[in-house]
Amino acid sequence: MFSLADPRYSNPILSELQIKPEDQIISIRENANADSNFIITHLIKQFLYEKHKLCLVTFHSNVAHYQSVGKKLGYDLLSAKKNNEVIIIDPINAMVEDVGKESGYLREDKDSLLKSLYLDIKKHLNTLLGNGDHQANLIIDDLSHLVDLGVDVCQMINFTTYCLNLTNNDKISVVLNNHVGNKIDEIVSNNLQYIANVHIEVSALKTGASLDVTGSFTVEKDSRKRVFHYKAYDRGIKTFHPGESIYHLYK
Amino acid sequence: MDKNIHHHIPGSQFSTHNGQLVISSGIQTLDSLLGNGIPIGTVVLIEEDFHGCYSKVLLKYFLAEGIVSTHSTFIASQDVNPYHIIKELPAVIESDPEVGDSAVSKTSNNDKLQIAFRYQNLPSYDSDYGPKENKDFGHIYDLSKTIDVSDIENSDICCWTGLRIENGTKTYSNPAYNELLKSIKNKIKEGKFFLKDNPEKRSMLRIGIHSLGSPMWLPHRKSLQSIDGTRDLDKFIFCLRALVRSAYAVAMVTVPTHLYHEMSLERCIHSSDIALRLQAFSGTELENNQSLNEYHGFFYLTKLAAVNSLVSKHPGPVEYVFKLRRKRFSIEILHLPPDIQDDNKETGKKHGNKAVHSMGCSGANSHPLDF
Repeated sequence: MFSLADPRYSNPILSELQIKPEDQIISIRENANADSNFIITHLIKQFLYEKHKLCLVTFHSNVAHYQSVGKKLGYDLLSAKKNNEVIIIDPINAMVEDVGKESGYLREDKDSLLKSLYLDIKKHLNTLLGNGDHQANLIIDDLSHLVDLGVDVCQMINFTTYCLNLTNNDKISVVLNNHVGNKIDEIVSNNLQYIANVHIEVSALKTGASLDVTGSFTVEKDSRKRVFHYKAYDRGIKTFHPGESIYHLYK
Repeated sequence: MDKNIHHHIPGSQFSTHNGQLVISSGIQTLDSLLGNGIPIGTVVLIEEDFHGCYSKVLLKYFLAEGIVSTHSTFIASQDVNPYHIIKELPAVIESDPEVGDSAVSKTSNNDKLQIAFRYQNLPSYDSDYGPKENKDFGHIYDLSKTIDVSDIENSDICCWTGLRIENGTKTYSNPAYNELLKSIKNKIKEGKFFLKDNPEKRSMLRIGIHSLGSPMWLPHRKSLQSIDGTRDLDKFIFCLRALVRSAYAVAMVTVPTHLYHEMSLERCIHSSDIALRLQAFSGTELENNQSLNEYHGFFYLTKLAAVNSLVSKHPGPVEYVFKLRRKRFSIEILHLPPDIQDDNKETGKKHGNKAVHSMGCSGANSHPLDF
C-alpha cells in the first residue's frame, strides 16, 4: 500500500525517477544551456518527506533560492535546518570572505581545500546520522564549480571517489550534480555515469528554445534508459514522453 | 525577504512574474525581454560583437540608468579609460523623440493601413511604445547627447583602471583579476551593499566591466599559459557571482568572446545568470542582405536563468535583432519584410505553365528556386 501524499507517486518528476533507498549514488549531468536545478529541488522534497537527514553543499545557487523554490514545492528548508534535519554547507556565501585573500575556498593549495571540504561533509553526515536509525543524504550542487576554483582533473576524481566511498555506510547516499562545460567536467561526469546507480542527464532541446517544452532529461537505471521531455511551471514540472507534449499542454 | 524594507530603493521594482526585486537595464525592450528587468544579485554576461561597439552601448545604457536612479556605480576597463565611458553616457530625456516623430507621421498619413476589426483593439506587441507600469522604473535616453557633468559629480562613481600589478597572487595567472575582485568587494563593503548590512538608506550598486578577458588581460610574460589555456576568466566570473549574490548589486560584464574557443566560454556562461550575445552584420555577408538592411545585428538571449524560481522567463524560439539609430538603441523581434520587389513582370510568367517546367535543378530559364 502507498499513501497518496507520497511525492514518489503524486509528483510527476519523482514518479518518473523512482529513487529508492538502495540507490545510493545518483549522478546528474547538466548539459550546456540546461538547468538541472529542478531535479535537485525535487529530490530534496522526497528526502524530507521520507524523514531523511540532508547535507546540502551549495556552490551554484544560494540558500534563498532553494528556500523560495522549496516553498513552492511544498517544503520549508530553513525550518528543517532549524530542526537539525538539514545542514547546509554554503560555499557561494562563504567565498565572499575569501575573495582577494587567497584563503578558504580560494586558497592556493587545492588539495587542502578539497580535504577540508570532505572532512566538513563527513563530520556533518556523522552528526546527522547520530545514533538514530535514519538515512542521510549528501547533495552537491554542483561539483563543476570546483573546476572554476582551479582544481585539476586528478584532484576532482580523487574528491568524487572520497565522496562516493561515503556510501560504504548503507545509511548514506550521495547526489552529485555536475555541469558539463569543458574537458574536465566531461571526464568527471563520464566516470560518475559509470559508477552511479541512477544517472540523470538534463539537456536543452537540440532544436533550440521552445515555449511548449523546456528541455529533455534521460533517466538511466538498471541499464534501462528512458527519455522524457519536461515543461517548467511556476509551481512544478510537467513531464511527458517525446512527442506527447501536445496532449499534456492542451488537456 | 520582507518587501517593505525594499520599498524605498529608487529605480527598482518587484517583478510581476515572480516577486523578484529587479532593476532596469536602461533599455525598455531589453527589460521586457528579461521579464521586467534584471534581478538583483545577478551577473549579466554580454558576448561582444566583433568590434565591441554595440556591447559598449548596452553597457552605457546600464550605467546611465544607474546614475539617473541614484545608484552607486563601479566601472572597470583595461582597454579604454573608464572615465571616458562615464563621460559618454547618454542623457536622459522626457519622451522618446523618434517615437514621437513616427507617431505624427503615421497619423498625418491619410491612407492608414486597414486591418481586420478583431485585431484593431489588441495591444501592440512592441512593448517599447506600450504604457509604462512604473514611472520611476526605466528611463528614455538620447544617445546623441551626453550626460550632464553635474550629474556625474553628484553621483557615487568608482573607476578601476587596472594599472599593471606585477607581484601578487598565485591563484590567478594575471593578478589584475584578483585586484579587480578586491576593489569590487571593498566597494560593496564601504557602501554597505551586503544583504546583511543595515544602512540608513538602502541603495544599489551597478558594476560595469568592459571588455573583460581582452588581450589587455593576458597573463604575464612569465606564465606559460595562452589566452585559451588560462582559467582566470572562469574563476573571476564565479567569484563575481558569489559577491553579487550576497549584495544589492548587479554586474554587467562584456567579454570579447570571439577571441576564445566556444568551449572555454561555456563555464563563464554557467556561472552567469543572464547571457546575451550580439552579432553585428557589419563586415559579414549579412551586411548586404536586403531583408536585414533595417537592422544592425542579431541579438541572442543565450541564457536566462531561473533565479529563485523553477521556471525561466526565456521568450522561446523568437529571433531578435537590434538596431542603433542616432538617438536610441532598440531590440526588436525579427520580421522579414514582405517580398515586394521589382519582379512584377516576372510574376506573370511564374504563374504560367512555364513555372512548372522550370522547377528543378537545371533548366535554361532562371527560376528563383533553381540552384
